[in-house]
Amino acid sequence: MSAFSIVLAKECIDNLRDRRTLMSSLSLALLGPLFFVGAMSLVLSEAIDDQDDAIRFSVLGTDHAPELIRYLESQNSEIGRIDPAHASDPRVLVRSGEHDLIVVIPENHGERLRSGQLSTFTIIYDSSELGSAPQRARRVERMLETWGRTVGVLRLQLRGIDPLLVQPLMVDSVDVASTSEQALKLLGMVPYFVLLGAFMGGFYLAIDTTAGEREQGSLEPLLSQPVSRAALVLGKIAATCTFTAMSLLLMLAGFYLGLPFVPLDRIGLELDFTLPNFAGIFLLMLPLTWFAAALLTVAATLAKTYKEAQTYLSFLIMVPTLPIVFTQLLGVEATIWMMLIPSLSQSILMTAFLTNDHIAWMDVLISMLSTGFLAVLLTMLAVNLYSRERVLG
Amino acid sequence: MIVVKGLSKSFGKVTAIDAVSFSASDTRVTALLGPNGAGKSTTLRILAGVLRAGSGTAEIDGHEVHAEPDRVRASIGVLPHASGVYARLTARENVRYFGRLHGLSGESLESRIEALIDQFDMRTFADRRTKGFSQGQRVKVALARALVHNPRHVILDEPTNGLDVMATRALREIILGLRYAGCCVLFSSHIMQEVSNLCDDVIIIAGGRVRFTGDLAQLSDSAGHDDLEEAFVRIAGLDGAQT
Repeated sequence: MSAFSIVLAKECIDNLRDRRTLMSSLSLALLGPLFFVGAMSLVLSEAIDDQDDAIRFSVLGTDHAPELIRYLESQNSEIGRIDPAHASDPRVLVRSGEHDLIVVIPENHGERLRSGQLSTFTIIYDSSELGSAPQRARRVERMLETWGRTVGVLRLQLRGIDPLLVQPLMVDSVDVASTSEQALKLLGMVPYFVLLGAFMGGFYLAIDTTAGEREQGSLEPLLSQPVSRAALVLGKIAATCTFTAMSLLLMLAGFYLGLPFVPLDRIGLELDFTLPNFAGIFLLMLPLTWFAAALLTVAATLAKTYKEAQTYLSFLIMVPTLPIVFTQLLGVEATIWMMLIPSLSQSILMTAFLTNDHIAWMDVLISMLSTGFLAVLLTMLAVNLYSRERVLG
Repeated sequence: MIVVKGLSKSFGKVTAIDAVSFSASDTRVTALLGPNGAGKSTTLRILAGVLRAGSGTAEIDGHEVHAEPDRVRASIGVLPHASGVYARLTARENVRYFGRLHGLSGESLESRIEALIDQFDMRTFADRRTKGFSQGQRVKVALARALVHNPRHVILDEPTNGLDVMATRALREIILGLRYAGCCVLFSSHIMQEVSNLCDDVIIIAGGRVRFTGDLAQLSDSAGHDDLEEAFVRIAGLDGAQT
């Protein structure tokens, strides 16, 4: 065995035996997809409340407005009638969770309607509770307003007045975002998780093999062995890379299994998450796993203590997620120079893989080569750091 | 045979050692004696090849440490100051790791490790992870690790630090065993008693300079004092302004 593989094997075994750090670095890889799929499913099923479904709510005082109730029922409403004899304060009923949405029709509604006076309805719901009550409250409000407008129009017509006189303008809003673009935005979160997961996978190993080894006093004996510094450093980075790649693989497996459960079809999106596409993402990310390992190793080597290394690296693993946030916020078009930037190029291309978009293989190649090149530079820097006396601290 | 000539080393403006010269012979135990901060560790670290000398040469069996680093490292066993072991590896795995780095493998490596385990009386804890080991147990593991490749030269930086009486005795046995096996043993210490019990030759170093080289008899002669500790204090200049 070469010195490189001896160091690699030792560091891997050493890290595998540390359950605490292993758990913390792999838990993100396992929980990330779970969290994403769960949150996504919740958001989609809640926010995109299906307009065709019957809307369900309760009404207190149905007897005061029979014609309105008939109208509401004709609008696909499932109305729960609250018996006024047994009803306490409707607010209490909502707060206690017995009803989640109550429309209160005032007792004198019939009278006021006949005499042309303003009648105030109250919609009661609790927005602090999970559920679709706020969305349904808006729908009920719209239905009530439509009914009110219809009554108003009829009144004006009876008096021989053109109803348009009291409606000087009308607003029509058009959302041009296509469903695929919406999905792009949602799926744009996946690269964020995947990148963070990959970096997190090497977090503790990078510290253990550098600042940790120095702090426990085994670095000096190690450096006294008849082994080139390059072999030692390469072995250490390769061990870290093994775990960034493993974390990446777990993460991708999680998303591959989890994403089909996200109800993307509810926003009219049919996406196939195919195995070749995920294999493509893994291939695309491979240079980045080495880049991450080398970057973390260099940063942890520069730190004076284990604690200091933890602080540096906690910040450092956030850095690769920044370009994703920027592109998400600014909605930048992918250009060739972006393919030169590690993490940015991977996140753009990963989204293309996920949305079954056209894959520019030239871009993939450029991304892999440029990230690989930077990874080699960082590796050389790490070897150089280990060749200095100051590495002993 | 270790030969050091005119070795100097500075860290920034601080001169750690200044023109240090001495030699340590085979089949003898040589002590590098000096107060804290005298430059003992710096000297030994240069010999181990982890520090580069500002000027001067350090040769082991005629090979300059920085000209032929891997050759020199293969022929020396080093126990650095406060050397740690891997907490999540067992004692045996710690030793095996360094053995492999020295190019040993298979049956020859395993039988060598077995021999060291017996020699250092490590049988009871050889297959336990070193986390939670006593200081004495840790030093034994670190020492076995340093000797796994059967080095001809052994360099120990304050090996008795933190050891209790029994562990110190065991270490003394090990060092004497190495001498009988024909090794050149160079160890540093700041405790005169330890040195007088064990060593053949003494190098006294203080303030980065060599103050004395010779055997124990010459030491008491040159200081004009039978009490070796008193002799050391005088020669190192510790009885004056320094404390």
